[in-house]
This record gives sequence, structure tokens and C-alpha cells, in this order.
Amino acid sequence: MNPEQLTIALPKGKLLEPALKLLFDLDLPIDGVNDKSRRLVFDFPDSKVQYIVCRPTDVPTYVEHGAADLGIVGKDIIMDQDKDVYEMADLGFGYCRFVLAVPEEKADRPLTDFNYQRVATKFPRVAEAFFRELGLQVEVIKLHGNIELAPRVGLAEMIVDIVSTGKTLKENFLAEKASIAECTARVVVNRVSYRTKYRVIEPMIRRINEIVNDGSGRE
Amino acid sequence: MKNWEIVKGAKDFLPLEAAMKRAFENRAVETFTRWGYREVITPTFEYLEVIEAGAGQGIRDELFLLQDQDGRLLALRPEMTIPIARIVSTRFRDFEGVLRLFYNANIFRHAQPQMGRYQEFYQLGVELIGASGAMADAEVIALAAEVLKQEGLEYKISLNHIGIFNNLLQHSGLNESTRNGIKQLVLKKDLVGLKKMLSGLPMAPELREVMLEMPLVYGTPQVLNRLEAVKEIPGVQEAINELIEVYDHLAAYNIQDDVVIDLGILRGFDYYTGIIFEGYSPQLGYPLLGGGRYDNLLAKFGPPRVATGFAVGIERVLLALKGRNCTPREVYEVSGNDAAAVLAKARELREQGLIVTVDLLNRGGDGEVVVKRRAQR
Repeated sequence: MNPEQLTIALPKGKLLEPALKLLFDLDLPIDGVNDKSRRLVFDFPDSKVQYIVCRPTDVPTYVEHGAADLGIVGKDIIMDQDKDVYEMADLGFGYCRFVLAVPEEKADRPLTDFNYQRVATKFPRVAEAFFRELGLQVEVIKLHGNIELAPRVGLAEMIVDIVSTGKTLKENFLAEKASIAECTARVVVNRVSYRTKYRVIEPMIRRINEIVNDGSGRE
Repeated sequence: MKNWEIVKGAKDFLPLEAAMKRAFENRAVETFTRWGYREVITPTFEYLEVIEAGAGQGIRDELFLLQDQDGRLLALRPEMTIPIARIVSTRFRDFEGVLRLFYNANIFRHAQPQMGRYQEFYQLGVELIGASGAMADAEVIALAAEVLKQEGLEYKISLNHIGIFNNLLQHSGLNESTRNGIKQLVLKKDLVGLKKMLSGLPMAPELREVMLEMPLVYGTPQVLNRLEAVKEIPGVQEAINELIEVYDHLAAYNIQDDVVIDLGILRGFDYYTGIIFEGYSPQLGYPLLGGGRYDNLLAKFGPPRVATGFAVGIERVLLALKGRNCTPREVYEVSGNDAAAVLAKARELREQGLIVTVDLLNRGGDGEVVVKRRAQR
């Protein structure tokens, strides 16, 4: 870790564009940064900054180990990983919710009816923590995608997933049973970098909070 | 499972790594010894009650538990301060004055496999028992700095006093479960969550502001002026004074430039009561060492006694060193078909302090003893 140089981990996918807009607002270079090419590292030595464009779920790992000094990632991913990083700013964009959904015909049943049943999810920690808080025991089945199919094919009785509009739930005859948490994109910072690169990172976080709170970014 | 698998989160040290580890340990132990600290060795396992009495029941998720033949629960030690507190309270029960102890031990913490953390790791550390006051805190911090400095590492020590945060929380007028919630968020470094939680709570606005800003207070003692609005709260001014006093003592140890007031560090164990600190190097993304004052722990095992100490993570220092501080040594290999002559030559060279091996594979030759020099692989 060179004390002058800053490495920022950026998530591929739908958060990349608003993340780049934020970097632009911070007067950082973003020319040519994208997730379409096979390039993963974008280096701007003149501005003393480097970006690692990686899978969203890997952002907290890069930051925890100090391979990146800071990163931009959704709260949904942070919640499911329990990494040792500073969560320093709420960026407001990338809104989604964690919900518990069940087949429409069971939507009126009390939650206790789902005790000892199976829940399919991409986010096993979030699902487990939610049911543990309620004093319920469930079997968590970890899937990597198409969670909403699980009840239809008899893999699970319910799902814990992120939704933004709720359209996918409806298409699969599922109904929201409980809202677990609301999530937006966050800035996470390595605990050592925050200290060894304090002179660069501290003003940057302050500026980010200004941009998010009063929209004082560049036009 | 294959029969050659190694347990997740466990590690083999091959000769080169083991040599680097041993070399670092020797240098640290030499320094501890010169500062008057003496080694203690404790059992790898303790009764579960001992560990829980020291660290609280919250530690249980992190423990490796086993059962002895009588059905009692044992835990592999998750740190060394508790076993030493137990020793001091029993074996040094009637000792008066100041005790300086050090240890070099393997530590066990159960971790979720996906976390990618070691479940067995090594710590060197000291405990200074029976002395309160800034001189004692400064001694332990200076010793910690010395261990990093003598390795040639670039480092910074972050310094805090747990009394500031604890007293703010204690006198916040909030109920216990809310206070625990706040503490968890601060420990998890979730400043966004903290802001959301505090903004909904009935508390004095200046207290809210300070609690939000505290994790970010970092710099010379001037930054403590940012606590101006809350220093009337009982215990806060005393904690600030102690912090400044220790910082001033560190000037006499010539390490003040490497020490930063940092109200963002709050160590994980509940037993800390005063000054706490962590050591960092820009070469590594996590702290190299940590410690602090724990004046109430010994009373859980025997007579109350004040104490402070620190532990350094050996693997972490080795990672930050990246293979430095360990020069490969030369080996002398003695060959020949006259065994008596070969062994005599080997003995002669060993007596000179050289590293000598006897060639066991090529015993031919014409009776002459041959000595070859090579780098150790």
C-alpha cells in the first residue's frame, strides 16, 4: 500500500454507472472505465488512483484485506458477509429491499406457520438472522440465482430475496410476507487505510456526504 | 474428506516460514527479556467456566470446545490474557508489587469456514500487573512499538481510552438494550447504521453529534477539543486527561511521532477498562497488535489487581515483513568414504559454529574428505 495511491473497488453491474457518476462528481478520472471489457484494473497514475472492477460480492473482501482502500457496494451484500470494514457513507442509490415471500395462497397465514420449513435464498446469513430474531427455526437452502422458482418446484416453502419493484414476485405467484431490511449502496473503507491514508480518505468521505446530502455534484 | 487434508483455517509452516517465525520470536523475546518480562506457559485448554468468567458468554461462538472423560467442558484458549489472569490470581496470590510476564502461544478461534480466517494462530504478548497510571500504560505501548520498530517496519500506534465511549453511553439516559445496540454498531464500524439509530433516539443533540463523530476523531491531542460539548459528563474529562498523560509519556520514549489519538478503535473484548491501543503498518490491511488496560479482570479469579498488556499477531508481522529479516544460511556438507574422518571433520566445523551436514547419499571417493558449501534450501 503506497500512502499516496488510492485503490477503489467498484462493483460490476447496475451499481457501476451511479458509482462512476459519483467518482466524476469527486473530480476523479473515469475515462474508459467499464465492466464490458475483460479489463479488471484501471490505473490513472496522474490522479494517483486505481480502480478494481469486480463482482459486487467480492468488493467487501478486497476492502477487508486492504487490496482496495475503499469500495462501493450494496448494503444487501454487506449484510450477508459480516466483513471487518468501515461502513462510512450511504450513497442513496441502488435502492432495494430484503423481503420474505411465500406462495400467494399462503400469504394470510401467520409467520409461526412457517416454523421448521425450508427457505431458499442467495443470502443465508440474512435469512438465518431474520428467523433467529423471531425465535423460529428454518432450514436455509442456499441458491445462486432464480430464487423465485424454488417454491414452484417444491425446493422450499418460502424465499428470502431482494426486490426492487416486486414484479418478479408477482410473475411467480409469490406474495411479500415480511420486509426484512431496506438497502442502498454504501462506501466501505479498510480499517488500516482509513488511518494510514487519512489525509486523502477523510476529506473524500466528507465530500461524498455533501454530494449525497445536497446534490452538490458536477453538472 | 481425503486422509491428507488439513483442517480449514489451520496452517503448516515449512522450514523457511518456520525459520522466519522463529527469528521474529527470538528478537521479540530478547526485547521482552531486556525490559524485565519473564515467560509463562499455560495449558492449551482451560475449563470453559474460566474462559467465560473472563471474556463473557458472548465468546462461546468463537470457542473450540471439547469434553474430558468426566464430562466437563474444556475450551482451547481463544487468547492469553485470561489464562494469565488466572495464574496471577492463584499462583501469585500473595505476590506484592509489579509482575512483568510474557508469553508466546498458539491461540484458537472458531470461525465460519467461508470467512477465510485462521482458526489457529500465534501470538506474542506481555502482561504488566500491579501498576496503574500513565507510566505503566506508556511502558507497554512503548514495548509494543519497539517490537515493530526493531523489525524495520513502518508503523503507527492508535491510542484511545475506552472510558470516553463507555461513560458517554452510560450517562446517555438510554436503556441497556439500546446501549448494547449502539455498541454493536460502533464495534462493527457501521457508521451509516449508527447515524440512523441515533437520529431516532431521545438524546441530547450535542451527545448525538459527538457519538457520531467519535469514530472519526483522529490526530494529535488537539482533536480531543471536539469532545468539548460532553466533557461535563462524569468520567469523560478524567479519561481525556489520562489519554493525554500517556501520550505525553510516549514523547520520552521517542515514539510520539508514531502515535495517533484515535477514538475510532474499540477493542472487541469487554474486559478493557482504560487506555486501549492498536498497531498498524501500511503494508497490511489489518492491525498487527492490540492491547490495553483491564483493571477488573483479575478480581474475577482472586484478589483485585490492576493490569495492562498487549498481544502481537505473529503471522501478521510475517506478512507485513514479506520475507525480510531472514537471510538464508550457508551449509557445509562433508563427504568421503572414511566415516571416522568425515565425522571428525563435521565435528570440527560444528565446533566453529558452522552448519554442517554429512553426505549420506554419495559415500564413494578415494578416502579424501571433501567439504562443499551450499545455500540451505
